[in-house]
Amino acid sequence: MTLPPRSFSGSRRDFLFGAGGGLGSLALKSLLLQDNLGLRADEGVSSIDRLNPLTARVGQTLARAKSVIFLFMEGGPSHLDLFDPKPLLDRLSGQPMPDSYGRPITAMGTASNTLMASRRQWQQHGQSGIWISDWYHQVAQHADDLCILRSCYADGLNHVGSVCQMCTGDILAGRPSLGAWTMYGLGSANQNLPAYVVLTDGAEVFGGSKNWSSGFLPAVYQGTQFRNEGPPIFHLAPPSTTGPEQQRGKLDFLGQLNARFGADKPEDTELAARLNSYELAWRMQSAAPEAVDFTKETAATRRMYGLDEDVTRKFGGNCLLARRLVERGVRFVHCFSGSGSGWDAHEDLEGNHSKRCRETDRPIAGLLADLKSRGLLDQTLVVWGGEFGRTPFNEKGKGRDHNPWGFSMWMAGGGVNPGTIVGATDDLGLRAVSDRVHVHDLHATILHLMGLDHLRLTYPHNGRSERPTVNDGDVVYRAVKV
Amino acid sequence: MTFSLQGGRRWIRILFRIWLLQGCFGRQSWAGNLSTTNLFNSAQVGLWSLQPLKDVVIPPLAGNSPVRGAVNPVDSFILAHLKARGLRSSSPTDKGTLLRRIYLDLIGLPPSPREVLAFEVDRAPDAFIRVVDRLLASPQYGERWARHWLDLARYAESEGFKADETRPNAWRYRDYVIRSLNADKPYDRFVREQLAGDELWPEDADARVATGFNRHYPDESNARNLMQRRQDILNDMTDTAAGVFCGLTLACARCHDHKWDPITQADYYRFQAFFANSAADDRIPLMLPEAGNRHASRLTEWEARTRELREEMNQLEQPHRLAILEDYIVKYPELIQAALKKSAATRTPFEQQMVAKARLYLDPSSHQYLAPPSACAAQMPTAKKSRWQDLKRQLETFASLHPGPVPLGSGIVEVATTAPSTFVLRRGNWESPMEEVQPGIFSVLNSPSTGVIPAVNRSSVAKGSGRRSALAEWITHPKNPLTARVLVNRVWQHHFGQGLVRTPSDLGLKGEAPTHPELLDWLARDFMDHGWSLKHLHRVIVHSACYQTTSVMSADLAGEVEARDPENHLLSHFPRTRLEGEIIRDAALAISGRLNLESGGQSVFPELPPGLETRGGWRVSADPSARDRRSVYVFVRRNTRYPLFESLDMPDTHETCARRMVTTSPVQALTLLNSRLSHDWAESFADRVLGQAGADESIQVRVAWQFAYGRLPDANEIKLARSFFVSQSSLIAVREQAGEAVRVPSPLPLGESSNHAAALVDLCHALMNSNEFVYRN
Repeated sequence: MTLPPRSFSGSRRDFLFGAGGGLGSLALKSLLLQDNLGLRADEGVSSIDRLNPLTARVGQTLARAKSVIFLFMEGGPSHLDLFDPKPLLDRLSGQPMPDSYGRPITAMGTASNTLMASRRQWQQHGQSGIWISDWYHQVAQHADDLCILRSCYADGLNHVGSVCQMCTGDILAGRPSLGAWTMYGLGSANQNLPAYVVLTDGAEVFGGSKNWSSGFLPAVYQGTQFRNEGPPIFHLAPPSTTGPEQQRGKLDFLGQLNARFGADKPEDTELAARLNSYELAWRMQSAAPEAVDFTKETAATRRMYGLDEDVTRKFGGNCLLARRLVERGVRFVHCFSGSGSGWDAHEDLEGNHSKRCRETDRPIAGLLADLKSRGLLDQTLVVWGGEFGRTPFNEKGKGRDHNPWGFSMWMAGGGVNPGTIVGATDDLGLRAVSDRVHVHDLHATILHLMGLDHLRLTYPHNGRSERPTVNDGDVVYRAVKV
Repeated sequence: MTFSLQGGRRWIRILFRIWLLQGCFGRQSWAGNLSTTNLFNSAQVGLWSLQPLKDVVIPPLAGNSPVRGAVNPVDSFILAHLKARGLRSSSPTDKGTLLRRIYLDLIGLPPSPREVLAFEVDRAPDAFIRVVDRLLASPQYGERWARHWLDLARYAESEGFKADETRPNAWRYRDYVIRSLNADKPYDRFVREQLAGDELWPEDADARVATGFNRHYPDESNARNLMQRRQDILNDMTDTAAGVFCGLTLACARCHDHKWDPITQADYYRFQAFFANSAADDRIPLMLPEAGNRHASRLTEWEARTRELREEMNQLEQPHRLAILEDYIVKYPELIQAALKKSAATRTPFEQQMVAKARLYLDPSSHQYLAPPSACAAQMPTAKKSRWQDLKRQLETFASLHPGPVPLGSGIVEVATTAPSTFVLRRGNWESPMEEVQPGIFSVLNSPSTGVIPAVNRSSVAKGSGRRSALAEWITHPKNPLTARVLVNRVWQHHFGQGLVRTPSDLGLKGEAPTHPELLDWLARDFMDHGWSLKHLHRVIVHSACYQTTSVMSADLAGEVEARDPENHLLSHFPRTRLEGEIIRDAALAISGRLNLESGGQSVFPELPPGLETRGGWRVSADPSARDRRSVYVFVRRNTRYPLFESLDMPDTHETCARRMVTTSPVQALTLLNSRLSHDWAESFADRVLGQAGADESIQVRVAWQFAYGRLPDANEIKLARSFFVSQSSLIAVREQAGEAVRVPSPLPLGESSNHAAALVDLCHALMNSNEFVYRN
């Protein structure tokens, strides 16, 4: 759909402010006035534009990355079969876990089951010699870009709480997601697109929109889920009974009504903000379809992401879209693989994971290569992982149960120390034992790379000065490029 | 270098924890009878909200009284503060604006043009007072104000977490709140019913349903670790009750003594102990005895007629049922498996808690039962399953004989005869119990001057341990310094958009101090003196001249206000507030003539945007008129808030919300501008305008303005509208000629062209999107 050109009439200039337009004293004063947007002078966040709380802001510390692409393997990928080889597990396969490991309470009560060796072929890759299994042989070509966190751990036993914690820091729903905190801290670099986008490839993510919620932060910071079919955002365009010129005519009339109403209320910036929001919506109406339109991508690029193959098309499309979004200034892209707990291999690890890995291996490798060739990898932080890993003991003979006590994630790009391994699990891969990285530590690190200090990024709520990492969290400096 | 950075902070954290723990041990802070002077500093002990209510003298009326005669005690306080800052009150607003304001405020609907006209011609001095009386007596009052309370109660009709299963009877609590407000139930009774209705009035169905307040916690049906789950639920009850009724941020004291307020960690768990013996009861019988007998005899007959069928089905199901339950139970930790195996009499109180929790999934009469016939059938081999389905079809032929499900309520009951012990938990961790505590109130308030808590006594209540009723009695004690202050502040906040205390659930040291402390105390006292009547409180507030001032400042006042009171703390003029999403929808439905005012009953499901997925289900109401019922009846699914409401700041239902945010986003604009629903509303609105105005454009404009804004358009607006008609209808005519579809109401009145009517639809749509429409002015 083409849209008629847009011009602002002089009389409306008093009410309409372009994206990111500085408002000088007006914005600053309303910033101090407005307490329920969290815009208080004592906050660690730099001044927030009252008319548009999404205006881009500078972070608190040196930013290494401008955007995050979080590749979320929902359901819990097995670290023991991807990034954390365990020779002892092979040796003890078929035997019960030695008593010294104890018997953790698991989701399915499987801790007394026998250990199960990994059936993968393992190889060291690149200069760094990082071990990666054959399931991810294309990702492995980028081993020297990765920083593997082998000692991650989390608090939840069940999917929904654990997905929620990986997204929001807490296993109980209600807190703001990491993406929302990022937007709160940094605003958006592109006013015509949502700054925090969620992409799925299957069913609804467990816990749904709780995972990209703004929690107690203002609603403007919540993530927007792009639809897989049709217009990417709900209500992006009017019904077909309204033509573009007609829509523009209606908007102009609405603008006139609002301008008249606001004329004797110049102190009320909320009214002006609302007027402004309709212009933002109008611009989004053309910007969002443009962002999801792949027709200008070359055949080579599409192949790189696996768009030419059925098995990779869906997730590959999301990876390509993620690149297009960060290219356009989107801050945070949450890209789910196996949404609806697709990686949850309780019964048939081989069947489940070989399919999931086929779906994701080429697209992720393509994403890393594409970002690199465009010079975007340096400013884009790519994070890979699930809500937890999987147990060394079997479930139902061929599967693995949930393992929140020790699992692997990796980061690449945007200020990450490349070609490194941080931390370790025990000899069976059950628990993280050295340089342990809690979800809060991971979040603190992601924020750090984005130029935000998780201790100073605060928001007053119910008598507490809340921060993204609740009460804990340390930046994992070993994962940060010096 | 890296090591020292990380290690250094870790050390600081460890030292801090040691300091916290020493604080606890050193002070013996769980000993409730210690003198509070040893525990707290003077700022804490002197916290304003914990002092007894002051006996306030109404200040003499200052000279600059507003024009309209109706000045009441509220104004004396407001004007005294304005005068002290060298400010004055705005002039009264015009009658049309006032009427729209009070309608949206009290019933959440705009007045009809006829009601506006009647009010404008009513010159009697009590015209406004009579409007207020009429609105407070209308059933829509309860529907409007219940929503405020439901925010506090974190009301939702589903579990949350992964499956987000429906709670089939949660809506009865919503109706209970609406009924209570409409009946002007005294607030102290309202509180006692919600905290302890099961103990105090076990025979009263309403009081039992009221305990749903504590049942609205989010829950995870898939949890294995019920010890952790119980602690999470207890924390939710503790934090919610303290915030809602006492205006205290208790949660801060879960892991350590409150950093600012005089609340120790032991206080936290003492307060929690009131709830320690509680558990969900989703089978509260609501049928009156006679109806119950009728139901039972019909059921007996149905059972007799279907016995053989059901027995055969049951035989087919039974092995699968046992397998499902067995498979589930073995996943529980051993402690719970053991408790389940014990006989009821030999279970400890804590084990009874665990069993009460597990029973939700193991009891065939529970709505969350894991092994209902359908789940068993799903596991049957084909031949067996087809036999089962055949039997089921036969059984269905008897459906007309079945009396239907028994109406049931959801709430809270006491579990054991002795409550399980409550411990102070180190860092809030259920696995690290420290000292045992007994139920008790905050040590800083343990004084006769701030209300007396009765001894917890089983014999004092009709049923239960008496713990929650003791708490309810203390909370509603006339000397409790918090309860009435908290409540009148909440009501004030909804009338003015801001409370006298702007942190309505935090009256602590980190909350904001009251802008008018004497007014707050006077209102609180007056409220209690008038039998805790909410309707009395509304009257006192809205009858004031202050409530009736204009929201538009004159240029000279604007200058003074900007210099001296930029946040309008002193209420020199009425604060303009954006309507909630629910009210925007109700108002849009009302002016488009579609609103269905049917009250009460099960929730309704309006359409969702096509393609929106919801786990737990959203079956759009079959009856289209049901989809146009008031927003308070729209189903509240925890994980999928109704998108229009969510975008317009409906709070997350996972925790209590005392004050909604007001944010502005393009998503709101997209929804109100582009959704098919909003186009439907606009078309109905235009149809209504055409019905009244016919084809006369200038009358159309007048009627549309009257419906949308409760006033007539001025000359400039008429000009604006007419020029819009010219340009928009010619654009539409071009579309029509090109064969494009346009949206037009039908039938059209004589002389109305379709392109002009389509432009009217657009005009109506613009009005519904405009600031004047979505604000209470």
